[in-house]
Amino acid sequence: MADAFRKIDGWLTPQMLAAFVIFGTMPYWIGPIGLYQYLGIEVLIWCIFALGFNLLLGYTGLPSFGHGAFFGIGAYALGLTQFNLTENLWVGLAAATAIGALFGGAVACFLSHRRGIYFALMTIAFGQLFFFIASKWTSVTRGEDGLLNIKRLPVDLGVVSFSTTSNAAFYYFVFACFVVVTIFLWRLIHSPFGKVLQAIRQNETRTAFLGYNVFLYKWASFTLSCAISGLAGGLFAMAQSGAFVQALSLQWSGVVVLMTLLGGGFVSFWGPVVGTVVFFVARDLLGAYTETWLLWYGLMFMAFVMFKPEGIVGIWQDLVHRLQRRERRLPARSLAELWR
Amino acid sequence: MDFIYQLLPHLVNGLALGLLFALVALGFMLIIGVMEVINLAHGSLFALGAYVAIVFISPDGGVGLALLQDYYALPVAWRFVIALVGAPLVVAVVGMALEVCLRRTYGKDPLYGLLLTFGAALVIEETIRLIWGPTERFIEVPRAITGAVLIGDLIYSKYRFFASVFAIGMILVLWLFLQRTPYGALIKAGAHDSEMVRALGVNLTRLRLFVFAFGTALAAIAGIIMGPIWGVRPHVGVDAVVPAFIVIVLGGVGSFWGAVVAGLLVGMVIGLTGAYATDISLVSMYLLLIAVVTFRARGLWGKKSVLEV
Amino acid sequence: MKVRVTRRRLLMGTAAATAGTGYAFFGPWKHNRVWAQKTDKPILIGLTHDASGQFANSGQAEMRGTVMAIEEINAKGGVLGRKLAYISADTETTPSTGTRVAQRMITRNEVAFLVGAIQSGVANAIGQVAQKYGVVYFNTNSSSPTEAGKDCQRCKFVWDGTGANFSLAAAANAIKTFGKKWLLLTNDYVWGHNTSKATREIATQFGAGITDEILVPVGTRDFSPILLKIQQAKPDVVAAAVGGDDFKVMRQQVVDLKLDRSPAWLNNQQDWPDVYGLGIESVFGVFGTTWYHKLALPGVEDLVKRYQARWPDTRIDVPGNVFYNGYVAMWELAKAIERAGGTNNLKVIRALEGHRMSAKDRMQHFDAVIDPETHHVQQTIYLATGNDKPVDKTDYFKILSWAKPEEVQDANERKTCKLQAYAETPSYEQ
Repeated sequence: MADAFRKIDGWLTPQMLAAFVIFGTMPYWIGPIGLYQYLGIEVLIWCIFALGFNLLLGYTGLPSFGHGAFFGIGAYALGLTQFNLTENLWVGLAAATAIGALFGGAVACFLSHRRGIYFALMTIAFGQLFFFIASKWTSVTRGEDGLLNIKRLPVDLGVVSFSTTSNAAFYYFVFACFVVVTIFLWRLIHSPFGKVLQAIRQNETRTAFLGYNVFLYKWASFTLSCAISGLAGGLFAMAQSGAFVQALSLQWSGVVVLMTLLGGGFVSFWGPVVGTVVFFVARDLLGAYTETWLLWYGLMFMAFVMFKPEGIVGIWQDLVHRLQRRERRLPARSLAELWR
Repeated sequence: MDFIYQLLPHLVNGLALGLLFALVALGFMLIIGVMEVINLAHGSLFALGAYVAIVFISPDGGVGLALLQDYYALPVAWRFVIALVGAPLVVAVVGMALEVCLRRTYGKDPLYGLLLTFGAALVIEETIRLIWGPTERFIEVPRAITGAVLIGDLIYSKYRFFASVFAIGMILVLWLFLQRTPYGALIKAGAHDSEMVRALGVNLTRLRLFVFAFGTALAAIAGIIMGPIWGVRPHVGVDAVVPAFIVIVLGGVGSFWGAVVAGLLVGMVIGLTGAYATDISLVSMYLLLIAVVTFRARGLWGKKSVLEV
Repeated sequence: MKVRVTRRRLLMGTAAATAGTGYAFFGPWKHNRVWAQKTDKPILIGLTHDASGQFANSGQAEMRGTVMAIEEINAKGGVLGRKLAYISADTETTPSTGTRVAQRMITRNEVAFLVGAIQSGVANAIGQVAQKYGVVYFNTNSSSPTEAGKDCQRCKFVWDGTGANFSLAAAANAIKTFGKKWLLLTNDYVWGHNTSKATREIATQFGAGITDEILVPVGTRDFSPILLKIQQAKPDVVAAAVGGDDFKVMRQQVVDLKLDRSPAWLNNQQDWPDVYGLGIESVFGVFGTTWYHKLALPGVEDLVKRYQARWPDTRIDVPGNVFYNGYVAMWELAKAIERAGGTNNLKVIRALEGHRMSAKDRMQHFDAVIDPETHHVQQTIYLATGNDKPVDKTDYFKILSWAKPEEVQDANERKTCKLQAYAETPSYEQ
């Protein structure tokens, strides 16, 4: 992030608009290109999850291998609120976010003084702990059978109310959440708070010497990231009409790391989004033709780590740079920045 | 008195379990301690070792070796010993290939090494599934070390005795190798200050290749020894890599005896919770880890390493 | 040398069977909507079998059953003049994948029916989507007692015996034979709890005393502390409700310790793909099953031959209970469509509810019936143990007895199951 400290104005950037247009029109073209509506919902929810995750990995430099736990906790929180408290969409989502943050905040107390491998391992340990609690506490989570019959509640805006039972309608609701989360994260990352996080990523000790309480910043970054994971989990529970214990598993946590890095979470805000889309589309296409798609995906992943750790967006940036060198007449604002 | 009489077998069993956990963690420890690479493919290599051993031991091992009838006419004990030597060598070759891939990540954030081996773990596991299929397999064990042995009125598995003694042997062999041979001294020096070692004219590239191959061979040996206890299935590696990880972090990165003690500790905790609070026996190792790392940031005897940055 | 049945290969198989209808090609870019107007279009069935994850092996076994049934049905001219075609996708033993696959098959591929499940979470995930659209779904092999109880659905039919059925069949018998001091070994998840609960009820009813219940965490790989504890407790009977990989590991360790003879082990269910290939000595204790390939009943031998001719490459040389459930369910689906006179979901559901299947057709000892209130197939439950006199290398089990469906019926199912009303179930037809 060489130019991460460059001032960025405004709430909307061209690349954000482009993403919004692409995702906003998706219900109209996803069928004709041979995919299906529900896949779109899942992709967008995972985009939210991965964006939240990348706040931690890409911007603060903390590798969490237990983030699936907070996704799963969000899913259960939404379901349990709906069953036991009130059938209100906003309350449910607020609960998913808040409970995600609550658990995240508690765990972060143990984690904020840790770095590197010890940090990664502690996240695995906590993730596994929550996984076992969820699969054991069957009276609440219903274990491997799953917490079923979670409703997609209508979006009640006071004046009007929309039903979200159809996949297309629910997609637009998730899209709205995606827009809010994207703008929020973008602003956050380019706020003074975000700059400190990036400084911690580059050199924690030096940041501490500058007088920042790095532990507090790491704690806040982890907690926020968990809140967004919880929100994504809540949305997923509604999409799937259920919450299942597998969401808390180590495997689930690994997938989000895979997607974020493959996309290019280290070099770009949009890396996680690109990675998510590629992962889901690859799974759907490759998975239809070969049973061993994970083998090919694993090989591709290895190749990226070896030759292009900056991910897919990294390749794009390189291409654009090369193009620019050829056409020097381009204005100072480079195309490559489109992905920043 | 009665309580102590009941407790005793569980203490012995916990000790045996601990030795096995230490064995599972040995290869992982060598690679992380010397090369500072977190080898997440440890579990998959562990599984691969078991599968290759099955090819060495059983004629229906799955790779069309049924032609070698004379070989499979040998007694099981012979084939078992050949597998214990041959399979780790085969896996070590795979390990070398992986090390060559890893070279591109040296000097970068250690996260990249971890990610590369994570990808390799996927690839190896899927390859196992492709070659041997998803069915459960078993490793044939010589008759002499199967069945139960009666100690007082306690029945214990002969194979577990064998495995525990074998684990002690492996721990000692590795220790002596690192302590008493010039090669061991080099490896330790390489871990301590790789620049200096290189400056002294040692071929560090070859040294790393060797260490990684050695570490993966140890993973394979653990896979073969644990196969008859845990069973063999393509995803058995996850059962190995997670405890290995926990043992190393608990013991502290870079500490040989730390890892051994941590292995024994984990074994004891699992053995005792398995007996008196079975429902939390699995989660106990995570709780132990959280407790220790919360108070001792680098595990029991960990040294400062690049892995923390 | 063993060749794996890949999905690709299977799909190429159907391409021949369905004579190039275009359905066999599961290409994501292909649009199948043009068929919607034609009445002689093939009936498309979505197969939701696990090909990876913990139950990959069983998932592939049931797939061999459903695919073989489809081919046989087509060879006989199909259903109502329409051929059957199928698409399949890996459900990965993961509920969210189940949801996605079901959504894809229903909304994009427009399947008429869905068949296949091993794990209850996956079955529930698929079942919910199926119910939402009104697609009839067959849960072929998930044996959680909640499947036809709390989680029953109008569109879902459950084909395997549940943990409760097996407990009922085994418990009464075991008290008579082995003794009254029982210890329960329960895998710490829903299936384990429900199954052990059923065992406890029936065992105490027959006068057994439960001395202890040990909860085994899911994912346990070392049973030695537990086995030592059992040695110390010295029960007459250990009733184990341990499933999946945990069970495979436990079996290996119990056999190694030679604890498999004494105490007596009561294992709830033994799925064929989980034991076949490990040698006859690895079978231990008394357990339930719904079918065995050496039952002395007409048709069984012939089915084994057809299986071997169709699947010469699989490592599982003879069909087992998991294959059987898939196979029989698919045949019953075809017959139900015939009785309903079409693929309208509500008509097919009516044709299935309360339907009686003859013992001869099912190759079991007694007639089976689909309970109209729970959609659970009430069938013969066999008790078996390891075979001490095998006639060949596939003869792992010795069938001890068989219980009539009504003797092993789980009363809790009807109490807890509330099927959705017909009016709430969307009408669906492809």
